[in-house]
Amino acid sequence: MTDGMNKYVKYGLVLLLSVSLILFTQEIKLLKNPESTPVTGMTILGLGVLWLFSMIGILISELMQRSSLKIVRDFPILGWVSITSLVMCLLSNTFVEAIQAVDFLSITTPILTFAGISVANRLVDLRKTSWKIAIVAVFVFMGTYLGSALIAELGLFLASK
Amino acid sequence: MKKKTNYMVYLIVFVLVIIAIAEWIGIQSIPIGPFTIGLLPLVFAVIITMILGFNIFRKGILKKVYSKQNVDFASKYLIFIMLPLMARYGADVAPKLYEIVQVGWVFIIQEIGNLGTVLFGLPIAIMLGLRGEAIGATLGIGREGELAYISEKYTLESKEGRGVLSLYIIGTLFGAIFFSIFAPILLDVGFSVEALAMASGVGSGSMMTAASSTLVARMPEMESTILAYASASQLLTSFIGTFTMVFLAAPLQQFMYKLLTRGDK
Repeated sequence: MTDGMNKYVKYGLVLLLSVSLILFTQEIKLLKNPESTPVTGMTILGLGVLWLFSMIGILISELMQRSSLKIVRDFPILGWVSITSLVMCLLSNTFVEAIQAVDFLSITTPILTFAGISVANRLVDLRKTSWKIAIVAVFVFMGTYLGSALIAELGLFLASK
Repeated sequence: MKKKTNYMVYLIVFVLVIIAIAEWIGIQSIPIGPFTIGLLPLVFAVIITMILGFNIFRKGILKKVYSKQNVDFASKYLIFIMLPLMARYGADVAPKLYEIVQVGWVFIIQEIGNLGTVLFGLPIAIMLGLRGEAIGATLGIGREGELAYISEKYTLESKEGRGVLSLYIIGTLFGAIFFSIFAPILLDVGFSVEALAMASGVGSGSMMTAASSTLVARMPEMESTILAYASASQLLTSFIGTFTMVFLAAPLQQFMYKLLTRGDK
């Protein structure tokens, strides 16, 4: 990318790429299965809203870098975007309707496509890890998920009483 | 400059083709014994792009697709590509906020479940003969938070550092695939979808996405609840995850480590 390009313009373009890929994915889904979420004017509006909230989240995250609290500075952009969107969606139900016209699973495929490409050069690093740690990893991932699920199950059971 | 733009064109066209292929394969249900694993297009997308990235395939057009610029672009901007997904979660949480706040304490205590990395992982690691690596590899799921903590305390060149780095690499490569298989298995075991959705907020965006999307694919009628619970829990993990790690996971790990390695020497 051009070095001189304003970084916000760059972020805006990357986000534009992201929402365009979502639209593409939703269209492909429709081609395969005409019963899936249709692409309507609301969908386009929803994609625009997703773009806008992402942009606002980025700006907030940049502003927060000036904060003196480490935890605020370290809070991920992903979190700021979720919070921005949550607040806006609480303010107006139109945002909720527009965003929900965007098919959820269509958002996920482009992301994981990029994720796959991004690790391409790290596959060689696998040689540096041992099979022992690979086994440990399975138990670590199982542990966090199972641990949370057990407590959540118990908690929800108690809460419903 | 012109050349760089060309590389981008290869990348974008490639991404479109992969998306089309992954979506065309669609959702595949694979029964394994009593379990049904639903493999989503996102799993095919990540597997295909990883395999085509092997060095032996990097010839001709694929060499241009997987050029250094493109791979760097993908890893640098992956987080930005993910932002619209995070924005989508706001719309899932908002209509359910009242419901979520009512069981808010459950959301908070299930964060303690993240100690499962130490409880399950550490004994296995010690049994396999790992020592310093065990500390690094079981403190958490090995994302940026643990990486920062371990490198500050032990440096990344230490055994502990190697442990956390290995886990980071394994999680990056296989985390999403793992959770898209593990979540539906627990659903078949008998866990409620609400509890599993809540547990999906493990602290990594792609792992949470994989876990919650497979649940959605299995129970489409619960989509809004699943996404709302998963994203609320993910948000909470990003707020208090560091505290859980520093004040609960690390002390517990030290205690268990001493207990389990008593027999050494």
